[in-house]
This record gives sequence, structure tokens and C-alpha cells, in this order.
Amino acid sequence: MESSLLSWIVFLPSIGAVAIMLLPKALTRVIAVGTTLTTLVVSLLLFRTFLAGGDPAQAESVFGSGYGFLHYVQRIPWITGEGFTIEYFLGVDGLSFPLLILTTLVMFLSCVASWNFSHWKVNKGRKAYFVLFLLLETGMLGVFVALDFFLFYIFWEIMLLPMYFLIGVWGGVRREYAAIKFFLFTLAGSVLMLVALLGMYFYSADAVHQAMASGGVEGIASGYRPDVMITGGTFDLIELATNQAIQDHFGAASTMLMGFRFAPFAFILLFIGFAIKLPAVPFHTWLPDAHVEAPTPISMILAGVLLKMGGYGFLRICYPIFPGGGHDWAFVIAVIGVISILYGALCAMAQTDFKKLVAYSSVSHMGFVLLGISVMNKTGFQGAMFQMIAHGISSPMCFFLVGVIYDRAHHRRINDFGGLWLSMPKYGSWATLGFFASLGLPGLCGFIGEIYVLLGCFEGRSQFGWAVPMAVLAATGVVLTAGYVLWLIQRVYLGKLREEYAGFPDAGIREVFILAPFGVLAIVLGILPKHTLFNFMNGTLDLMVDHIVSMNRHFDLMNQSYAMLGG
Amino acid sequence: MSWYEQFLVAGTVVPLIGFAFLVFFGHRLGKPLSGWFTVLVMGTSCVLATCVLFSWHGLSPADRAELTAAAVSNQFYWADMGSVPIKIGVKLDSLTVIMFFMVTFIATWIFVFSVGYMAGHSDEIDGQSKYHRFFTYLCMFAFSMLGLVISSNLLFLFIFWELVGLCSYLLIGFYFDKKFASNAAMKAFITNRVGDFGFLFGLMMVFFFLGTLDLDQAAANFRQQYASSTGLFAIGYSIDLFGWQVSGMTLATLMGVGLFCGAMGKSAQFPLHVWLPDAMAGPTPVSALIHAATMVAAGVYLVARIFRLLTPDAQMVVAVIGCITLTMTALIAIVQTDIKKVLAYSTLSQLGYMIFGLGVGAWTAALFHLMTHAFFKAMMFLGSGQVIEGCHHEQEITKMGGLHKKMPVTCWTFFIGVLAIAGTGIPWTGPGIGGFYSKDEILAAALMRTDHWPPEAEHHAKAAPSDEELESGLSYRLASDSPEHGATDTSAGHDSQPKSEQAHGPSELDHAAAHHVDQAALVARATDSEHPTSPLPKWLFWFPIAIAYVTPFYMMRLWWLTFMGKPRDQHVYDHAHESKLMYVPLVALAVGTFFCSYWVFRPLLADAASAATDATMVVAIDGHAHDADHAVGLMLHHDVHRDLVPIVGFAFLIGFGVAWAIYRNGLELATRISSMPGIAFMHRALRERLYIDQVYDFVLVMGCRGFSRLCSVFDAWVVDMVALLCAALVRRIAAFSGWVLDARGVDGVVNGVASLTKYAGNAVRQPQTGRVRNYVLFAAGSAAVVLLLILAGSGAWSAVVGWIGL
Repeated sequence: MESSLLSWIVFLPSIGAVAIMLLPKALTRVIAVGTTLTTLVVSLLLFRTFLAGGDPAQAESVFGSGYGFLHYVQRIPWITGEGFTIEYFLGVDGLSFPLLILTTLVMFLSCVASWNFSHWKVNKGRKAYFVLFLLLETGMLGVFVALDFFLFYIFWEIMLLPMYFLIGVWGGVRREYAAIKFFLFTLAGSVLMLVALLGMYFYSADAVHQAMASGGVEGIASGYRPDVMITGGTFDLIELATNQAIQDHFGAASTMLMGFRFAPFAFILLFIGFAIKLPAVPFHTWLPDAHVEAPTPISMILAGVLLKMGGYGFLRICYPIFPGGGHDWAFVIAVIGVISILYGALCAMAQTDFKKLVAYSSVSHMGFVLLGISVMNKTGFQGAMFQMIAHGISSPMCFFLVGVIYDRAHHRRINDFGGLWLSMPKYGSWATLGFFASLGLPGLCGFIGEIYVLLGCFEGRSQFGWAVPMAVLAATGVVLTAGYVLWLIQRVYLGKLREEYAGFPDAGIREVFILAPFGVLAIVLGILPKHTLFNFMNGTLDLMVDHIVSMNRHFDLMNQSYAMLGG
Repeated sequence: MSWYEQFLVAGTVVPLIGFAFLVFFGHRLGKPLSGWFTVLVMGTSCVLATCVLFSWHGLSPADRAELTAAAVSNQFYWADMGSVPIKIGVKLDSLTVIMFFMVTFIATWIFVFSVGYMAGHSDEIDGQSKYHRFFTYLCMFAFSMLGLVISSNLLFLFIFWELVGLCSYLLIGFYFDKKFASNAAMKAFITNRVGDFGFLFGLMMVFFFLGTLDLDQAAANFRQQYASSTGLFAIGYSIDLFGWQVSGMTLATLMGVGLFCGAMGKSAQFPLHVWLPDAMAGPTPVSALIHAATMVAAGVYLVARIFRLLTPDAQMVVAVIGCITLTMTALIAIVQTDIKKVLAYSTLSQLGYMIFGLGVGAWTAALFHLMTHAFFKAMMFLGSGQVIEGCHHEQEITKMGGLHKKMPVTCWTFFIGVLAIAGTGIPWTGPGIGGFYSKDEILAAALMRTDHWPPEAEHHAKAAPSDEELESGLSYRLASDSPEHGATDTSAGHDSQPKSEQAHGPSELDHAAAHHVDQAALVARATDSEHPTSPLPKWLFWFPIAIAYVTPFYMMRLWWLTFMGKPRDQHVYDHAHESKLMYVPLVALAVGTFFCSYWVFRPLLADAASAATDATMVVAIDGHAHDADHAVGLMLHHDVHRDLVPIVGFAFLIGFGVAWAIYRNGLELATRISSMPGIAFMHRALRERLYIDQVYDFVLVMGCRGFSRLCSVFDAWVVDMVALLCAALVRRIAAFSGWVLDARGVDGVVNGVASLTKYAGNAVRQPQTGRVRNYVLFAAGSAAVVLLLILAGSGAWSAVVGWIGL
């Protein structure tokens, strides 16, 4: 089932970037919007496959019968050396599919949001801006479809650089500080990831060689690909997760890295790397700065897509490959999640900068992702994933809403606004919708993710004694969220109209064009979560949870027998 | 789908379509067309609801049960939670039908009123754009409220629950340019969220212990778990939720209390009652529709729906909260002077009665009170709207008086409301209105539970059923007021005697047979009196009784000060007028108050009760199988009603009389009384609403803001500082390695060599002066040295060369 569709999706933006470089400046915006739109349309082709996911009869043909069933796979040996192969390996399953669509959509809409580039404070270098913008899209799409860890890492780093420039050049007053902070935080994370990457490669090589030696065979069977033998270390993320020999070696008590047991240690390294991206408290401080300084479309991308890469990393790499680590650290992760929820909400409440408030609310919302993942059951995973998508819809919308008034008022001080709903009724209505979606109002997208996560915690109570109290604590976040969102709405949109804002034009066609898809999706996802999202991803998530659970059971048995043997 | 369901769904969706239409075209319709459009929409819903109600009323209980069962099978597969499918459908039973009718009927008339009322009010801000917005919100509200009523699933109930909360938020804050309005809106929403937090918690417990969110199925599982001592009732598990005991509650009780928290928010029960008085900042039709008749009743509706999931302890909590609310708020109502605030507090007090009624097991009576209250309170709010509008936004009753001449229709319809809320009627006989039936039934149930509990032995024999009775399916569903009876039994409020036990027809029999095993187990447990319940404390009876005297007092005070006596503000009086468009709804609702409630609602509610309360369950958990009927208020013992009349039957007369005596000549006497020592401080405390708002403001709002400020500072100065310190440290290290190690060290070595070379070069350069005689001198000197060295001998030379190191 080789297909180059994913390559097209990933590299279409790069082609656009090249075109922008070559063609005259007047065409830049058109090409950029056209490219992102084309990418969006092409990515929608994936629905051909996933549309059948909701039909139980066809679910298996969509999601397979075990973790690691992929579509549109493309794998080409890329760098081969003595005993190792780095593959150009792309594929999509129920986990990456929704994120892929989200990315192409958010990129398209934020590209439209960049249309008024020439009115920005820093409006030099239009070509450079859009070239970097499109390269960023390639990097992000690549992260979501790359299934070779090395390739993943490369895309991860590719995404970093354009972002650095986009914030650092076209940002606000303290843009350089924010850009460097963003860069260094993420880079610190990716260094940890690199350590884990190398460890995983070498230990998988050990595992395979040991298995070959003890069995006296030329290679061992792949964990998920029939009739494929592997003969050495691998970067294949699915292989690492599904190959029993590799898993056993990773999980064995004798496998050590730098004096620590390998699996929990590597899990922690990866976890920190992704938690920075998510961002989880206490690794979150880059986010408010980056958001405040980044131009509106970049904020939309940051919140809408970049943060999701952290969550995706957990689900794709941390948990399937180190299920034991997830089990060992579950409590810590849940605590970090709950702290993020409450602490983020409280910090948001205290902010006076509009964008900073939305940024802290992102911290709070992404805490639900962590909490949902930590309990390692189906409801929790579904909730975490839904929360990511829902946040990917509501937060870009909120950032754009901030951008709209920033364009008019040229400041973001919440306390200086007031009565904007009066001068901008249409905009005010969209804003109410957007912020209520972010608040988690039932019937809108934010609610589904939260309630699934909370229910997931309840479900995890038999396994983890702390799960229910955590759910209760997290649920108090619901009240805090209502508090800061409503207070925000009151200060900005309600109240007496101030004179200086009386003449503001209402949201224009372009602005409504950007807000409408987000608003509609927020409603549709909230009303029909199954038909719009769960159908396309639950299959994979369920299989992944099954895989994790069975692996953990296997490790438990292994450890028991190890203990019985006197180890 | 039967046409009943189709009509109900259509009736729910029509307002949604109206909402969508108004969103897109509302500004084109403008004023007053968008208002009339909304009336049309709501009227359509109301017609559908009326068809359903009357047709349903004509059905036999067996047919109804069959339709209810059929509705369960028509559910839409909404989503999976983990691997449990969640389905949504219509809960089709008598309660739904009545509530649906009540909501649509009242809403229609209130919309008519709004067309008139908002014509004058919406211009306050920016003209037409707000006029249609008001009706857009109203449509949204109607949709959400109706959705809430027909939901068969707790999750959907919760979703619509929040949507009505949203509409309430938007409508309270409708005049959002006013600070107090947006504050009130925010307060309402956040207070409700606090309740919803509990609701959510209860919901999660229902989902995981009962494995479903469907109301009926949850109840069935609850019952089954009780019978088999598993799940919520598992021994050891029940006291061990978080690894410690939760204030002596069992898990099942905790679940019930959690769900009840939601009701506390929405129905504004103590301690979450603070938002409702403030919510009067919204336009008056909104106060009438949302904050008196429908939305605030949703909490009561919820408790009625989850009644089957409440353990005796949870019911006790419900009763206590209801009792506190009804007492406290009635007392506060005495001293309020804003016409809408008085009505708001009286609403709170009546909601307290309903909740209290459910708590003491008077299911039918509580819902009956909900219905009657909805009519007369909506009417009174509209009346107050009329007054406020007529008096040019004057809301203080201290400035009114004598308005009956200027607005007679308002005055007398309002008076009907006053009579209804006071429970006026002729003791020991039938005729009476409003609270005469419903409040008395609640009080009778309270008396039953506090005094006559456990009941006498003759009931024991009847209700502890033998196996034969079980098999014949006779003993569980007792219908006291089947519709046929209800139609003739108009005076039955006071002495609804136990009627014959009736079998409910074939489907009921099947049902009973299917649950035979369960029931046998239940009865076995019930009779071993493992969980004996004692009578409720006496004060739970006496407080509501006392308030039954207070209610007529403050309502008469309100009515008298507004409409009777001498005008206290001539200016207000001179300009007062009445609008016809606005009094038609008043009359319609007054007629509704008089007629609609008893003849149709009461019997249907009695019918609903048998199914919705699942009598068997209540009984079994109480440990008194004989009290199925009492526990749900289906039949109250004859004696109870007879005993009650001397205690409370003349309350309305006494209350009215005292109010008349005090306020007949205006405010002087009242002012004198309130400044009497001993009363003055109470008066002040009540005026200040017992300082609850202040305490909340100080402790919760300020606390929360302070804490958030703290977090923010912590974030900037500690968390971020750690990152910045790391950065600074790295820079220091970099500086050290750059300057000290590299510049002085590595580079220093390199530079040192370089400067040495330079130094040497300089030194060597010195002699090179360019002057010939110097060179000559130098050459001569050198030659002399060389000669000397040669002369010194080869040995010495080699020694010199060795010393230099060449």
C-alpha cells in the first residue's frame, strides 16, 4: 500500500515556499494562501480512508486489529550505515489523522489571517515571512506523519527554526527575548529526546542481536509487519512499540542507561521533552512570552498546532514504547496535569494582557490532556485526544479574536477595553462563541474533552487510588475557568462603550471567514463528537490502549517471575 | 417513533430553527417583527404541546406505559465513552408531557408580553440591534429548556442544563452596558458552575457505578445493585471512596448529593441561592420566564428525575437544604422594598418548598407545586413588569401605592397570584387555588415523615407483599389518582384517600414478573430492617409551617404597598399607565392559575409518580416496604390532612390580616416596628441578606482573585526566574569560559606567545637604527666578540652554545 500522498501533503508547502522565492513579490500572498489551501484540500483526501471508521463492520479495515495499522505508508531507506538504516517512513493512522487535518486547517486560516501583513508594525520582508511560514507547515506536518524516530526528530527541529524567526523578526517589542526563550526551551527538550533516541536505537540493536544469537537465526520477525525480518537496531516507532524482543529488553531490570533503569529513565527524558512543548507546569514559561510577542497568525499556529505536538509525542512515542514508564510515573503525570489545570487557570485569572490570558488558559486546557493520558485507559485517551483537537479549534479562534481588536486598538490591556460588543456586534457574538467554547460549555467542543478526561479518571480508580481525587480537583478547574473567561468577557465586551473604541469597524469579511470555520467546528464537534471525530480516531486509540495494557500485564508477569527467581 | 415523540421533538426543534433564523435575519426583521416571529415560533410549539397533553391525558395508564417503553427503543447513538455507548432519546412520560406543556404555554404568553415590554426597553442601548437579539436569546432558551425536559439521558440533561444557564447568563446581562447587570450575569453563571461541579461529580459516579447515563437504566441498575449489595452498595466499598470515609456518607448517598448540587445551583438553594436576587437585573420578562417559572424549576425537575437514585440520607440532605432555603429567603423577603426583589425571594422560598417536598418524599406534591407556582409566579412577574414599565422604571414599592386605579387589570391579576401563593382556600372543603393544594400536600408529607413515621401497623400488613402478590404484580404500582378519578376528584387535594390498588395492565405485569427476583430480594432486605429510618427531625416540619404564615404576609405587604393605600410618590403615580398588549398575557396566565393546574396536571402527575419514583426502590431503601405510597406522596393518610388543617389551614388569613394591619396606612407603622430595639438589628441583617453575599465576596471572590494574583506573581518571579536563572547561569559559565578560560587561558597562551615574539622582535629591532656608524660599531663589536670566543677555545664555545640551547 505504498503511497506518496503523505509526501505530497508534507512537501506541498515547501514547493510553495520555493515558488514564493522565485516569483515576484506581488504574488507572494496569493501563492501562500493557495498553497495552504491546496494542502488542506489534499489532506482532506485522507477522509476517503477514515470515513468508514465509524462503521463497526469496516472499522477493522480502517484501524486494523492491532496497534500499528497504517495507511498511505511510504518507506524508503534514507541513510544506511554500518548495521543501521534510517528510513524515510511516513504513515497515518487514527492518531495522526485528526491532527494532520487540524494542522492543514489552522495553517490555511492563519495564512488568511496573515493577509493584512502590510499593515503590521513590522512589515518588512514579506517574502521571507511567507517562506518561513510554509516551511513551518512542512515541519509540523512532517512531525505528525513521520514514523521513523530519526525522521521525526528532524522534522521536529525543522519546525523550530522558522518559528524562531517568525517570532523573532515579526513579533512585538520583546520579540527577540521571546524567540530565544522559545527556541532554547524547545531545544533543551529535543536534546533530552536525542539522548533517548540514541538509547532506543542501541538497546533495540542489542535486543535484536541477543534474540538472533539465542535463537541462532538470521533475523527476528517484525512486531507488526508480516513477513519482514529485522536484523539490527531500528528507529521505527511502531516497531519499537510492537516488537516483543525489543520491548522485553527495554523493560528488563538489567537494561540500564547512565545508572538508571532504561525504560523509566528514557520515558522521563522523552516526557520532559514533550511536556515542554505541551506545555506543562513548570516548563510552561516560554509560552506566555512567545504568545504575547508573536504576531496573531503565529500565535494561532503556536496554540493550535505546536502545543499538540507535545501531546502527540506522548501518545505516539512515550506510552506505546515505554508502557511501563507510563505506569510507574502515572501519579506524577496526573499531578502535573492537575497542577497545570488549576495553576494555569489561576494565572490566567490574574493577567491583564489579553493574549497572556489566553496563553495561560492554554496551559490550563492542555493540563487535561496530561491528566487524561495519565490514567491509561480508553476513555482517558479519547478525552485527551479530543481535548487536543478541541483546543486546536478554540484557542486559535481566541487568539484571532484578540488579534482582531489588537489590529484596531493597538494594545491588549484588558482593563482598558469595555463595551466592544456594542461597537462591534458581529465580532462580539463570535467572541462569545469562541470564549464559551474555550470555557468548556456543554454543546461546544471544549466540554467533550474535559468530561471524557474526568470520566477516564473515574474509570481509572480501580487501578489508581488517586484517580478520583484528581478528577475532583480537575473538575474544580471548571469553576475557575468560568471565572476568568466570564470576567474577561465582562471587561472587554460588556459594560459601557468607551469613546475611543466607538468608531471601530465591525469584523470584516476576511475576519468572519476565519472565525466562521472555527466557530462552526466548535459547535459541530460539541454536538456530534462521534460523527465528527471519535469515529476517525477511536479505533487506533483503543488498540493502542489495549497494547499498552497487555504490555504492562506482560511486564508484571515478567517482574513477578523475576522476583520469584530471587532477582 | 410515535407521534407523541415526534411532536415533542418538533416542539423542541422549532425554537431552534427560530433561533437560527433570527441569528441570520433577525436584524432585517427588526422591531417589532422579530418579536412577533418569536411568538409565532413559540405558539407553534405550544400548539404541539397542547395536542400531546390532551391526547396523553386521554390515554389509559397501560397505553402510556407502552408508549414510554417504545420511546426508549428509538434512541440515537451519540458517542461511546470508553466502550460504553451513549444514546439519546425522548423521555416520554406524564411528567415530560406536563412540563413541556407548561414551558411552552408560559413561554408563549411571556413572549407576547415581551413584544410590548421590549418595545420600550431595547432602545436603551442601540436600538434595533438589541431588540432582535433579545428574541434570539429567548428562542435559544426555549430550545434548551425543552431539550432539558425531554432528555432521557443524564448527560444530555446536563448539556441542555448548561445551555439554559448560558441563555440565562446572556439574558441577565442583556443590559450589559450596566455594570450591575454584567456582574449579576457573571455571578449567576459562576454560582451555577459551582453547582455543576457537583452535578458533574454525581454524573461520573452514575456512569461508573451504574454503567449508564440513561435515567431509567440507571435507576434499574441502582435497584439491582442494592438488591445484590454490589457496586454502590458493596460492603466495604460504600464507605471507602477516596480511601477515607466521606463524612459518614455512603457512596450511593454521595452520588445523590452530588447530583443534587446541580439542582442547588439551578434552583438557587442555600448556599448557592445568592445569584437569583441579583438576576433580577435582567429584563422583567426574563425574570418571569427564566428566573421564576421554568429554568429555576429545572433543578426541582432534576431532583424529581433522579429521585430513584436518592438514598434516605440523600433525601434528608435535600429536605434540610430545602428547609433552610425556604425559611431564610422568606424572612429576607419581608424586608425587601424592590418589587422584583420581593418576588425573587418569594421564588426562592417557593423553590425551597419544592425541594423540601422532594426531600420528604412528596414527589407529586412538589411537582404539582412547581406547576402551579410557574403559572402564578410568571404572572406576578409580568405584573411587576407592567408596574415597572408603567411607573417609568421605578422599582421601589416604597414609592408606589394606590396603583389599582391606574392599572386595574394588573392589580387584580396580581391579587390572584397573591391568593395562589398564600394557599388560599376554604379549609376542610375543596375549593382553593394554587398553593392551597400543592403546599398543603408538601406539608402533609412533612408531617407524615416527622410525626407519623414509621406508620401504623395496618399499613405494614398491606405493604409487605407476599409472593403471590408479587407474582400478580399488584402490590407495587398504586395509583391513587388515575385520570378518571382526577377529573371528578377536584377536591381531593385535602383528602386524597387511598384508592383501590390497581393493576396497571399487561406491560406492568410483565415488568413485575421480570423483576420478580429483584423484588423478592429487595423485600427480604427491606423487612430485615437493617437500615431502619427514624422519623425526620421535628423542625423539618415546623419551619415550613411557620413560613406558611410568613408567605401570605410578605405577599400581601407587596401587593398592598404597590396597588393599595395612598400614592406615596405623586410623580410616579401621575405617570403610571397600563399597556394592553402586556395585560393580555397576565389574564391568560391568571386563567391558567385558576383552572389548568388542578384538573389536568394533578392526576397526570400522580400517574407519573408511580413510574418516575419507582416506589419499590424508595420503600426498600427506607426499610419500610409498606410506605411506597406515602414515600412518594401518592396517597397521604387521611388523618394527616385532617390534622394539618388546624395547624396551617388559616395561615393565609392570619398572614393577610397582619400585613393589612401593618401596611394599611402606609409605611409609618412598619418603620416604627422595624426600629424597635431587638428588631432593628434583625431588620438590618435581613436587609443585608444576612451578609451572605458580603461573606462570599470577601472570602471567595477576593480570595480567589488574591490567590490568582499570587500564582501569577509566583509564575513571574519564581517559575520564570528559575528559567532565567538557568539562562543567567549558563551565560556566566559562558562568560567564564569565554573570558577567563578562553581569553586568559587558551587565548592567553596563544597571545602570550605572540606578545613574546613581538617583544623579542621589538628588542631585536632596537639596534636596527639605520645609521651606518651604529652598524659599523655593531659589526665591529660582534667581530670582537666572535674573535674573543674563538680565542676562548672550542671547549668554551661549545659550552656557550649549549647554554643558549641551540
